[in-house]
Amino acid sequence: MLQFKLVLLGDSSVGKSSIVNRFVKDSFDEFRESTIGAAFLSQTVTIKDSDANGNEAQEVTVKFEIWDTAGQERYKSLAPMYYRNANAALVVYDITQADSLEKARSWVQELKNKVDDDSLVIYLVGNKIDLATDDDKDKREVEENVAKTYAEENGLLFSEVSAKNGQGIQQVFRSIAEKLYDIRKKQDATNNININSSAQRGNGPVDIHLQRPSTNDSTSCCS
Amino acid sequence: MQKEQSRVSYGGNKNGGLEKPPNFGPRNIPRSPSVPSLYAEKSFNTLNMSDQMLNRPMYEDQTKLIPGSKTRLEPDFNPSPIQRSPSTIGGNSNLSVIDMYGDDTESQMASDESDDSQPTDSNTPTNGISNNNNNNNNNSCVENNKVNMLDDKNIPKLMHRLSLSDNNKYKTTHDNDDDDEEYQTQPIPKSPRVNISSKDAENFDRYGFKKQTSYITEQEYDIWWREYYSYCNRRKNKWIQLMEKYDLSANDESIRRFPPKSEKLKRYVRKGIPAEWRGNAWWYFANGQQLLDENPSTYPQLLLKIDHINTLPDKETRYPDLEIIERDLNRTFPDNIHFQKESYQNTEPEMIKSLRRVLVAFSLYNTKIGYCQSMNFLAGLLLLFLDEEKSFWMLVLLTSKYLPGVHNVNLEGVNIDQGVLMLCVQEYLPEIWEYVVPSQKSTNNKSNLNKLMNSGFNPNHTNNKDSKNEFLFKLPPVTLCTASWFMSCFVGVLPIEVTLRIWDCLFYEGSHFLFKVSLGILKLSEGELLKGKHHNSLTHYSLNGNQNKNKPNNAEENEIELFQIVQSFPKKLLNPNDIFEKIIFKKRITFNNLDQDEIDRCRKYVTDQRQKHLPLTDNKKSSSHTNINDNLNSEGSLLSETGDTGFKALNIQKARTMKQNHKSDEQLSETQSEGYGFKRSITSVNWNSGLKERVRQIRGKKD
Repeated sequence: MLQFKLVLLGDSSVGKSSIVNRFVKDSFDEFRESTIGAAFLSQTVTIKDSDANGNEAQEVTVKFEIWDTAGQERYKSLAPMYYRNANAALVVYDITQADSLEKARSWVQELKNKVDDDSLVIYLVGNKIDLATDDDKDKREVEENVAKTYAEENGLLFSEVSAKNGQGIQQVFRSIAEKLYDIRKKQDATNNININSSAQRGNGPVDIHLQRPSTNDSTSCCS
Repeated sequence: MQKEQSRVSYGGNKNGGLEKPPNFGPRNIPRSPSVPSLYAEKSFNTLNMSDQMLNRPMYEDQTKLIPGSKTRLEPDFNPSPIQRSPSTIGGNSNLSVIDMYGDDTESQMASDESDDSQPTDSNTPTNGISNNNNNNNNNSCVENNKVNMLDDKNIPKLMHRLSLSDNNKYKTTHDNDDDDEEYQTQPIPKSPRVNISSKDAENFDRYGFKKQTSYITEQEYDIWWREYYSYCNRRKNKWIQLMEKYDLSANDESIRRFPPKSEKLKRYVRKGIPAEWRGNAWWYFANGQQLLDENPSTYPQLLLKIDHINTLPDKETRYPDLEIIERDLNRTFPDNIHFQKESYQNTEPEMIKSLRRVLVAFSLYNTKIGYCQSMNFLAGLLLLFLDEEKSFWMLVLLTSKYLPGVHNVNLEGVNIDQGVLMLCVQEYLPEIWEYVVPSQKSTNNKSNLNKLMNSGFNPNHTNNKDSKNEFLFKLPPVTLCTASWFMSCFVGVLPIEVTLRIWDCLFYEGSHFLFKVSLGILKLSEGELLKGKHHNSLTHYSLNGNQNKNKPNNAEENEIELFQIVQSFPKKLLNPNDIFEKIIFKKRITFNNLDQDEIDRCRKYVTDQRQKHLPLTDNKKSSSHTNINDNLNSEGSLLSETGDTGFKALNIQKARTMKQNHKSDEQLSETQSEGYGFKRSITSVNWNSGLKERVRQIRGKKD
């Protein structure tokens, strides 16, 4: 089983906890308690992988170690503790709050500055699309194109979701899992670890060890 | 949705009075800043009401009532023939009696407590009220009112909430002074609405919190509560006896004075302050009244300022905290009935309005802190037990005296307290320490493993002498979980009754109690933690024989397990006595010797260590320690004379740092090479050869 550390970042009340809750428990509460510090959750997803020859799908189980953080600005000083060694970051904004995209941008910037790991997967998520339905477009303050362009320019994965009705949530985590799995496969290939052979030996889930990325700022952790 | 709701104006009630609960007095603080006078009228009503209620012939009343309603309310309970609650918080419904104290109180008490001390309902109110009037000032009335809130407000509101199909009935039942009679002549009828309401009321505890959580089922709660409420009753009876010894009116729910501090009182507090006295007791032990007396106009003026700010067109940009507070209002105790918006209501609950005022007022009062997420829970819990103004002052005390620097903009106080906690874990829970910070000592593989993982945290990978303290500025990952314990003072971390017991001790004993409890929780979870560790090391060995390859995975699994246990274990700790009887009252548990002085010393030590090692970038410059002093200075006049031991310690510490700067530096550098040295007494030392040696060294140094 593959194990990845994923951290959620973003302005307060954009729906970070709700996204995790939808992903882990498939439920939604209109009012969730504000997250203090951070909450830890874990959840697995199964992805399909085709072997080297492109045939026969192989099931791979990916376990996410999820750190859901508090969104208020001042908690930023604690954030390095959370994204230290993270394999993926989910940067969330609220499509009905233009300001929250700005906060998301600054999170992306911070990750790029502080995390010295090219393989860190950053996924930009616009939440609360249920609030801006076709009948009620006024509520939307962030156009999908704007965020999408920004994401492309910065090499981020991107999609819009609704934690409330579940739209797009599973896909976000699945994409991250697939991307991380690809990265891992490539890394392991260069490390001369033949993942395919070990996978073929047992037909069960692939078992690979992860070498965790590091942060380049030695003082960043927990300061 | 959230936004819409939270943007409801500060204005008054627009709901036609339908849902207005009868005893909501203190919560109704409107714009007017004249807080005390405002309370007077309402609370007087309450006073009269509780007078009547306490005088009512409860037994007949209830024996009549209970059999019918009881089966619905607490189906598993065996109705006792006499339903009397000893000076119960002026309950105006049988529901409250059952909910607060359950129904087999009488028999329990008869067996546990001496009969003489048993209060009777007839003498209860007279004593109480005359006494109350003697010390009279408005505050006592407020408190009376507040106290009643616990059930008077609570229960009718519960019932009301759930029975809106019949508003008239509700109104007649709860219109002020009449409700007593209503209850006599109109016992809860066997109408469908009552079934619904009592059924739903069962879902909430005596403070209005939903009994069921993600970790505790309602059934588990009910089973536990059956025992715990009789425990509460026994304790309350003990308290009454104690109070009578000191000639303090124990039967008056508005009790404002408590016996002088003593070992006995400390024990009583640790065993739990009666719920209906809690707010007053916290206020008393934290010495809040002095703050209020010295600053009688502060809160009213802040309220005026809020009103003014609300008229400003650019208030959001000028006061960015307002927006952040708004976002959290409906995310504060969403499972508590007092904080919930009722579906048929257009206005927000009074509790939310109070919460907003307290938080906004605080953000204006202490601009260094402003608003920090987690304060919403602190203020929210205070508001369940104290009126707005007192809640405000208690929040001031919590953020300055008990949790210095924790809520400041840089949150450095959080890191310092986590560093202190880690020092304590290292000292008192070495087994767990090994687990949260795998060291070289355990196995060579492990430290290799740490390097392999490049986890960024390995206390032993450097050889310089500071490595001993590296965990103070590179906090171990477990602090990701434990940080919130301190920020919200365990609100939301532990089940509510446990949290309240901790708050009792926090205000009586000081902030070191938070560290004790934290160690206690870790100690209690030790079995689970270490089981996981062994389990992992045995089973998660390599599948393909390649140890190096699989070991790190094992460590990651360990880490996940650690986080999971540390996060979820406290949430399952339903019974406060688990932690109190198994940990806090056990003399042989060494960390019980931690006192406020030690924690203050620890805090200073960690502060200095962190200051030395962190690059002094601008935003990191201000440490919690300087913040402590800042708080002292800014509120010096308010706080310096509060006389509480914890605060004295801070003052002493401040004096020490100022006068003996040189000396303390010397001492510090001495301890630094040694690591922090805990005070140890022969009895307190957990004797093993390693510790013995260290003690000897430390003693040698001191001599």
